[in-house]
Amino acid sequence: MSTPTLADRFDPHTLAMLEGLDFKARYVMEGFLTGLHESPFRGFSVEFSDYRNYQPGDDLRHLDWKLYARTDRLCIKRYMVETNARFYVVCDTSASMGYRGSRAWESKLGCARIVAAAMSWFLLKQNDAAGFVALNDKTDIPQFMRPSQSPAQFGAMLRALDGLKPAGGASLAKLLQHTTRLVHRRSVILFFSDLLEPSEEMELCFKQLRFHGHEVLVFQILDGDEIDFPFTESQLFEDLETGTRRQVSPASAREKYLQRFNAFMEGHRRLFDSLEIPYCVLRNDESPWKALALFLAERRKFK
Amino acid sequence: MESARAVSGGTKEVQVSFSFLNPLFWLGVLAVASPIYLHLRRKQPENLLRFAALRFLDDQPEPKQSPRRLRDLLLFALRVLALFLIISAFAWPFIRKANHIIVKESRVYIIDNSLSQQVEDGFVKARDRVANEFGKADRETQVAVVELTANPRVISGFSDSHDLAQQKVRQLQPSFQRGSYLAAFRQANSLLANSLGEKKKIIFLTDNQENQWNENLNTPPFLQDVEVEFPKPGTPSHGNAAVSDPRAQRIFLGEKSLVNFTVQLAHQGSIRSAKLSVRVNGQEVLSHQIDLTDKPENIIFQTQWEAEPSLQLRGEVALEVEGDALAGDNKTYFSLPPVQEGKVAVLAQSSFLKLALSPDIMRGQWATHVIDPTKIAEEVEAKNDAEVLCIESSYLQSTEARKLLWRYLSNARGVFLMVNRVTPLTKGFLKEIVFEILPEEARVGGSAKFQYIFANHPIFHPFTSPDYGNLMEINVIDPIRLRSKDAIPLIFSDKGEPVFFQNPKQPGKLYVSSFGFDRQQTSWPVHPTFIPFLDLCLQNARASDQTPTSFEPGDTYVQTFATNAGVSEVVLKNDKELSRTPVTNGKIQLRLPDQPGLYTLAYEGTSKSEKVIAINPSPKESQLAYVTKPSAIDTWTLPHSPPKNAAEQAKPGVDLSLSSIWQQRIWWWLLLAGLIGLACEAVLSNLKRRSA
Repeated sequence: MSTPTLADRFDPHTLAMLEGLDFKARYVMEGFLTGLHESPFRGFSVEFSDYRNYQPGDDLRHLDWKLYARTDRLCIKRYMVETNARFYVVCDTSASMGYRGSRAWESKLGCARIVAAAMSWFLLKQNDAAGFVALNDKTDIPQFMRPSQSPAQFGAMLRALDGLKPAGGASLAKLLQHTTRLVHRRSVILFFSDLLEPSEEMELCFKQLRFHGHEVLVFQILDGDEIDFPFTESQLFEDLETGTRRQVSPASAREKYLQRFNAFMEGHRRLFDSLEIPYCVLRNDESPWKALALFLAERRKFK
Repeated sequence: MESARAVSGGTKEVQVSFSFLNPLFWLGVLAVASPIYLHLRRKQPENLLRFAALRFLDDQPEPKQSPRRLRDLLLFALRVLALFLIISAFAWPFIRKANHIIVKESRVYIIDNSLSQQVEDGFVKARDRVANEFGKADRETQVAVVELTANPRVISGFSDSHDLAQQKVRQLQPSFQRGSYLAAFRQANSLLANSLGEKKKIIFLTDNQENQWNENLNTPPFLQDVEVEFPKPGTPSHGNAAVSDPRAQRIFLGEKSLVNFTVQLAHQGSIRSAKLSVRVNGQEVLSHQIDLTDKPENIIFQTQWEAEPSLQLRGEVALEVEGDALAGDNKTYFSLPPVQEGKVAVLAQSSFLKLALSPDIMRGQWATHVIDPTKIAEEVEAKNDAEVLCIESSYLQSTEARKLLWRYLSNARGVFLMVNRVTPLTKGFLKEIVFEILPEEARVGGSAKFQYIFANHPIFHPFTSPDYGNLMEINVIDPIRLRSKDAIPLIFSDKGEPVFFQNPKQPGKLYVSSFGFDRQQTSWPVHPTFIPFLDLCLQNARASDQTPTSFEPGDTYVQTFATNAGVSEVVLKNDKELSRTPVTNGKIQLRLPDQPGLYTLAYEGTSKSEKVIAINPSPKESQLAYVTKPSAIDTWTLPHSPPKNAAEQAKPGVDLSLSSIWQQRIWWWLLLAGLIGLACEAVLSNLKRRSA
C-alpha cells in the first residue's frame, strides 16, 4: 500500500460529514501532520546557543569552566531563550467572507474557522498560548479573548470561532486597529481575511502591528470563483457588503476582471513583502495544507 | 376634500369631514401603503448572484431596472416626508377652500346666575333663551356659554356640539351666589380670543344690577373688537325686603346668660310692612310685625333672650313680606357655639379686676389664676400658660414678667395690658410692642369721658343696645398718652385721645388700655358694662378657631390644622352627608354649597367638636337697582383696531394671490419643513455614498 499524498489525506466530503469544529480542526491538522517526516511534537528545553567573551560584572555561574580549563579563555555560555509564544487568531467577519462558490468545500469564513481552530489546537498542544480577536459588526465592539495555554482554552476558542457570522461592510481597518490596541505584548497574529477591501488604512494598520513588534501571518482566504471567475451566463451581481448591483456579461467582463483582480493581489503581495509579513492565499476549494505548512514553518522561527 | 355623512343610531346623521388632520385619513394611507411596502420588500429579482468581489466589476453597467427593495428606510422616509410636505404646502389653499367653513360670528352668552336674577324668573328665561339659540345657530356661528356665579365657569365651549351644549344649559339651576361681572367678561373675552369668527360678540343675559357695574369702574380696558349686547334693558325697580348680617353674641349679666342678637332689615320699593321671626333651635324667640312706611331703607333689629351657655345655637331669621320680588333673600341663618370655659392668668393689683374675674362672678366662663408677684419666675418656668394674660404695666419692671408677656404673645395667646404706670423700663418695653408714650408735657390732664367707640368691633357691638349700659358714661382720669403706628384705637376719650387699642400685628391678640382699672384712674369698674366688657374682651383675646362661621353660597372654605390636631377628614353635612374632604398638609379647602342654610363640619379622626357654619346670600344681591346703559362697558372696551383692507374684505374664501399666500403662515412652515427634509436627505445620502 503506497503512502497517501497530501491531497489524498484531505477529503471535503469527509470533512463535511464531521460534526463540530473540534473534529474538523483535528481532522485537518492531524491529516496534515501525519504526512510530515519530522514530527513537530518535540520536547523543549533550555538549549545552548553560543559563547561570548566574559565581561567584568557577568554572573560567574554562567562561566564555562571546562572551556576555561581547555582553552584558558573566559567565556560566558549563552542559551536560546525558550519561551512559549502567544498567538492571536484574528478573523475578519465581513459579509464578503460568507461567500461560497459552487466548488468550495466551505464558505470563506467557514474555511477560516476550521483552519484557525486547527492551528489553535496545535498551538495549545505545544504549550503555546492562543487568543482571539474578531469584530462585532453591529456594535463595533471587538470580541477579544486573552491568550492562554490552558486546555480549556481550546473549547473557548472553538465556541468563539463557532459564533462568528458573516455580516456588515468593510471593517478590516477597524479590526486591525482594535488588534493593535488590545494586543500589548509581542505576539504572533494569525490574520484570516479575504482582504477584499482596498484601504490605505489597512496598510497603515499592518505597519503599526509590525512596528509594535508583532509577527503577523496573513492567510488570505479566497473562493475559486473570485480567483478564476468561471461564470459564463450573463446575470445580475449584487455586492455582499454594499448591496450594489451590476448587470454582468462574463464573456466580456472576465478578462478585465482577472486583470484587475490579479493586479489587486499583486498589490497585496508587494505590501506584505515590504512589511516582511508571511502571506499565503488559501482557496476554499482546495486543501488547506499550504497555509498549515506556512504556519508550521513560521512557528518554528518564533520558538 | 368632501364631507362624508355617517349614519349613527339609524336616525341621526353625524358629519365627518376629511382632512389631512383626520386620523381616519392616516389610517387609510397606512392601510394602502403597508401591502405595497411588504410586496416590494419581499420581492427578489431572478438570476441574482450575491458576489464578494464585485468591486472588480464596477465598470459593468448598473441594472436597467432600479432595485425595488427599500435599502435605506431613513432616506426613504425623508424623501416621502419632504414630498408630502411640499405637496401639502401647495395644496393647502385648495384644502382650506374645500374644507374650511368660514365662521362668521363667534358668540359667547353670559348667563347671570346670581341671586338677583331670580326676580321675575330672570334666570330661567335667560337659560331657556340660550338653549333655544343653540337650535337656531348655523355652522357659521360659534356659540359658547359662560355661567356667572361666584366663580364664573364655561358651560360649553366653541368646540362642543350644539346638542350637548343645549343639554348642559338646560341643566342649569338658579343659584343664590353673587359673581363678578368683570370675571365673567374676562372669561368670555379669553374664549373669544381663541375663536375663529370674523365678528366677536358677548351677549350678556343679566338684570344689570347697579352695584355690580359700579364695582369695577376703574378696570383697565381689555375688550377689543368685541361687541357687547344686552338684550334685556334695565329692569324697573321692584319692591323687595331682605334680612342679612345676623350677629349673635353671648352676654353674661349677673346670673343671666343672654344672647344678644342683631339683624339688618333692608327694604325698597313698595314694601309697606313685614313680619320678622327668629327661630332658635326650633323655637320661636321673636315674631314681630314691622311697619316699614317712612322707615329708613336699612334698619337694624336687636333682640336678646336667655340661652343655656352649653348649648350650640342654630338660628334662622325669616321675613314674611307681601309683594316681594325676590324671595331668596327673605331668610338668613346664624349659629353660635356653646361657651367653653377659658383660663385667664391675672398679674394685677386692681382689686376690681380680681373681683370681676373671681369664680363667684365668672364661674363657667373663666377660671382665674392669680399670679403671685413674688413667684413670677416660677410661673415662667412652669410653662403652664392660660389662654389670656391680664397684666398691669407696673409689673413690667420685672424681667420675668416681661418674659411671660412675650411668651403669651409669641405663642398666639391673648394679652390684656393695662398701662397704669410708666417707668423708663416699661417705656422701653412698650416700644418693643410698638407703643410709644408721648411726653408728659403733651399730656392733657384731668378726667375725660369715652366719646368715640368702634361699635362694629365684636367687643363693643353689643353695647350699641342700651340694655347693657352706656359706655359714654365712663370716665378715665389722667390716662397715659399712648400712640402706635400698628395698633387700632377702639375707644377715644372726649379729649380726642385714644385710650383702648388692639394690636393685630402680634401672633397673639393684644389689647392695651391706657389706664389701670382702679378708681383713681377710671370709673369703669363700678359701671354695669364692666363685667360684660371684660368677658367679651377676654373671649376675643383667647386663641380660638379664627375661621369665620358665616359664608356666601359657593364660597371656598379653607381651614388649617395644627400638626398634632390629628384630623384626617372633614365631613360637610346638613341633614345628610354632602362631602368628605381629606386633610392634606394640615389644610382643607372645600367648596361650600349653593343653597343657603346651616351646615355642620365634622372632624374625623379627632374628638374635636363639630362646627356649624351659616351660608347666607350676599346682601348686595338684595339691592334691586338697575342701570340701563352701564358705563363700565365703555371703560372696559379698547378702541377699535383699524379696519382691514377693503379689497381684502371683499374677496370671499381663499384666493391664490401672492399676498394671500404670504399671509398663510402654515404655508411657509410646510414649505420650510419640506426644504429642511430635502436638505437632510441630501446630506444623509451624500454621507452614505461616501462611506460606501
